Amino acid sequence: MSHEIFMPALSSTMTEGKIVEWLKNPGDKVERGESVLVVESDKADMDVESFQDGYLAAVLMPAGSTAPVGETIGLIVENQDEIASIQEQNKVKQVEVSSDAQLELPNKKPEIKEEKQKEVPQNNEQEVEIKREKVLSTSNEIQFNASTSNNSSRVIASPRAKKLASTMGVELAKVHGSGPHGRIQADDVLKANGQPVSIPWIGEGSSPASIGTPHIQAESKSETLGNSFGNPGETVQFNTLQKAVNKNMESSLNVPCFRVGYSINTDKLDNFYKKVKQNGVTMTALLVKAVAKTLKKHPQVNSSFSENGISYPENINIAVAVAMEDGGLITPVLKEPCNTDLFELSREWKDLVKRSRAKQLEPDEYSTGTFTLSNLGMFGVDRFDAILPPGTGAILAIASSKPTVVANNDGSISVKKIMQVNLTADHRVIYGADGASFLKDLSSLIENEPETLVA
Amino acid sequence: MINRTSIIKQPDKISFFYDVYKLQKEYQDSLISGKSNMNFIWLGEHQLCYTLGRGSNMDNLLFSEDEQDVFKIDRGGEVTCHMPGQLVTYLVLDLSNFNKDLNWYLRKIEKIIIKTLRSFNINCSTKDGFTGVWIGERKIASIGIGCKRWVTIHGFSINVNCKLENFNKIVPCGIEDCQMVNMSDYNKNVDIKEVKKIVKKIIHEEFNFNFVSE
Repeated sequence: MSHEIFMPALSSTMTEGKIVEWLKNPGDKVERGESVLVVESDKADMDVESFQDGYLAAVLMPAGSTAPVGETIGLIVENQDEIASIQEQNKVKQVEVSSDAQLELPNKKPEIKEEKQKEVPQNNEQEVEIKREKVLSTSNEIQFNASTSNNSSRVIASPRAKKLASTMGVELAKVHGSGPHGRIQADDVLKANGQPVSIPWIGEGSSPASIGTPHIQAESKSETLGNSFGNPGETVQFNTLQKAVNKNMESSLNVPCFRVGYSINTDKLDNFYKKVKQNGVTMTALLVKAVAKTLKKHPQVNSSFSENGISYPENINIAVAVAMEDGGLITPVLKEPCNTDLFELSREWKDLVKRSRAKQLEPDEYSTGTFTLSNLGMFGVDRFDAILPPGTGAILAIASSKPTVVANNDGSISVKKIMQVNLTADHRVIYGADGASFLKDLSSLIENEPETLVA
Repeated sequence: MINRTSIIKQPDKISFFYDVYKLQKEYQDSLISGKSNMNFIWLGEHQLCYTLGRGSNMDNLLFSEDEQDVFKIDRGGEVTCHMPGQLVTYLVLDLSNFNKDLNWYLRKIEKIIIKTLRSFNINCSTKDGFTGVWIGERKIASIGIGCKRWVTIHGFSINVNCKLENFNKIVPCGIEDCQMVNMSDYNKNVDIKEVKKIVKKIIHEEFNFNFVSE
């Protein structure tokens, strides 16, 4: 019998991997724990080992090709005499893999075949056919590499763009690159292939307050019920968390608050988000980073009222409100976002959300915020007003980013994505001008240089 | 049991690449076989040499192989170059004790480099899709990792005050027109010994290590 070698997951975000090299050839003896091939993700290589003693019978995906995580990429047999029959069964694939003639194939665009295979392939030939198509498209990539490395006009493309191009059969040399120095990005490949480039809706992926289904959009035809903790006619006792929130909210009644709002164009932010989303970046992390960077320039907005005077915290810690499914809300804190890169910040955020839903946060993970964010953008709200949490000076309410008709300075009219934010602040420590100039800088950062949010 | 003890070596003299490579391999093998549970960290400098990752394109080497020391090694990434004045850090870590996620690990290393440079008042950042650390369009630190059964090998290099002309003989990391820079271009008085100390401290913070000398 044969054992399959699968494409391993080198990271939680990896969906496919590239085979760098087969360290064994079909027919070679392999020992348990011995490296059989090398898979690459970004700048890290991973040796894939055999889980049993035996022989490498077949290589189903050649070096240089990419395969989805979990895909069978090779077969190992226990006995030497099984090699021949396995190789016979996989003959077509093997020929495709090794044939040099592949490199001289006319460079016609291979058809994109549906990748999904039947669970129980009744027709073996069909399965082989699908595999062959895949190999064809990868060999196209090989050919491309071979031809471009010989002349000086090297085509620069992002790893993701290369992958997309090879799976879609797009010829990279003909794609116009929009990245730095004409580097071809994934979107350029999508465009070249005639596919729409999707701009994500702001708030998507951040989902701190998503209750129930994430698709609470206007057109949603399903009649899902809104949130409720009891049945009609009942009075339900507050749970501990709800009581705590009530207390906090009531204490704000003793605080003289004012509100100031701003409309921010998020076109650039959306574009940037689209690029970094594939690296696990969340919209919440982006917004937190933007707010923290702006707070650094406006320490007054990070201050709070105390009996002794205006208290300036040593750190900038951003709390973000997360609704709990069983009532109440919690505000996990991203500490010192200015000192954490965007990717790590996104991971920290995902971890905090996961653990807050599981009620596993340590006190200093939800009580050390110096400034709070509340984002209801994912529900499509156009604006709202937040209540100031005790012990802090300000909270920012973030609404949805919506396509809006905008009159430009030159008198022209255009449609831009506009997001309204609304700052609630304690007037004893933060004055209108402080809040307004904070919002002005926040808006300028988001509108003009969202790419600086990376670090 | 989670083991976060690491042997640390930081020779002051310039080390020959292949000796350190063998040493890394030994530590990696003993972690894989379970003979030892010691992680291993090495900080130092190499004589001029060029190394290629397994997926490297030989076209990125702009000289013939016998002119210079060239090593083909078990890491990801394209060709790079080591030399005195460049701080090389190798980490042989059992990621089972941390996070079995190579993306996490790469981002962690970028963070270590960024924190190190920041403590010398050098502002730098990562670049989407280009692993490594950059100052604008110029590259100051390179990363290349190998991994077997979640035990890592190789690591990163930071240009402190090295002869950047040596990079002209290659297409660093396979990126055409990739300009390299030194820390000394931004902070004149930078001393590689100081950088070493800071890197060690930040690795300690980020991975929560107990360091032991052999």
